[in-house]
Amino acid sequence: MAEQQELRDEELVALSQQGQRDCFDLLVRRYMEKAFHIAFNFTRDTETAKDLSQDAFLRAYANIKQFDGRSSFYTWFYRIVVNLCLDHARRHRRVAWESLDQMAEESGEQEQFADSTFAPDEHAIAGETKRRVDKTLETMPKKQRAAFLLRNHQGLSIADVAKVMKTTEGTVRVYLHRAVSALRQSLLEFV
Amino acid sequence: MKSSTPLKSACKQYEEDLVLHYYGENSEGERRNIELHLADCDPCRLFIEDLRKLLPRITQAEEMPQSFWDNYYRETVSKLTSYEEKKYWWRSFFTPTRTWLVPAFGSLAVAVLVVGLMFGNDKLKLSVEPQVERIPQEILADKNQLEFFESMEILEALSKLEAQDEPKTDVIKHDASRAGVIGQVA
Repeated sequence: MAEQQELRDEELVALSQQGQRDCFDLLVRRYMEKAFHIAFNFTRDTETAKDLSQDAFLRAYANIKQFDGRSSFYTWFYRIVVNLCLDHARRHRRVAWESLDQMAEESGEQEQFADSTFAPDEHAIAGETKRRVDKTLETMPKKQRAAFLLRNHQGLSIADVAKVMKTTEGTVRVYLHRAVSALRQSLLEFV
Repeated sequence: MKSSTPLKSACKQYEEDLVLHYYGENSEGERRNIELHLADCDPCRLFIEDLRKLLPRITQAEEMPQSFWDNYYRETVSKLTSYEEKKYWWRSFFTPTRTWLVPAFGSLAVAVLVVGLMFGNDKLKLSVEPQVERIPQEILADKNQLEFFESMEILEALSKLEAQDEPKTDVIKHDASRAGVIGQVA
């Protein structure tokens, strides 16, 4: 098992394709946090994010024999996660803004307790900024949002984002610029 | 976010390149151009400084405790196991815990084979062997009795033929007498 932990993704995938479940379990351990965070950034709900990301692992395992190694495992797997998130977003177009607001307030309160030197005005600004960012992300087109989250939150290169989203690098650049512009716009309105 | 004006306006034609510059996604030439431009343009410099302040803040992921990840992993592995069990349900019949199934299946197979052979043989005989007329045993026992019955059948047949012939001879006699009367009249 210790030896298996040192294997590269491609080797673990090859062993999983031969029926070694424990190798796929290692891939789960390796990518569970990233998968969960992508889903969480889309849904803003812990339980939904957990269900979606776990569903992505099930789908990846069910189709592991169809993975041909032309792309890296993580771009293939991220594509599954992002597609599930996009499907989920289509089915649940509206997010309860109240819960987002509540989340921002709770987060502000927690920070205030943690850091008593932080001025109340700055907390208010930080809380409002977070709420604006969340709202802007929620209202922007889903693919634009996916491109932004994958680049900004997951640290994927533009080339990898393009592979995950099955589009061109030029398109991803445009999505990224538009997403940042939208964020900027929403924060300028706030001022 | 300590500034109350988080983002400043940048030059429109540089905005996209500034975003790529922030992510380190532009080419070497583009990077040099941007850096030259940034040296002379305050709004663009403030824009990129604000990106550096803002974007990492909104990247912050929810910190989950280790117990959450342990539970997450356990649940995922359990779901994968359930999926496997559903997909390969037939494999459970060959697990070592069900060793009693091997002799059970063996006995059943032998029983089916024996029953099949028994009924199969009967059917084969019925279909191949021709039907033979059964003669009572008491008749077959005495050859003379058989000859007697056969001669009796011949006699019965002769008497029937004679009975058929008798009406025909009467009609011939009647026709001859009628011909005699007609001849006398003429």
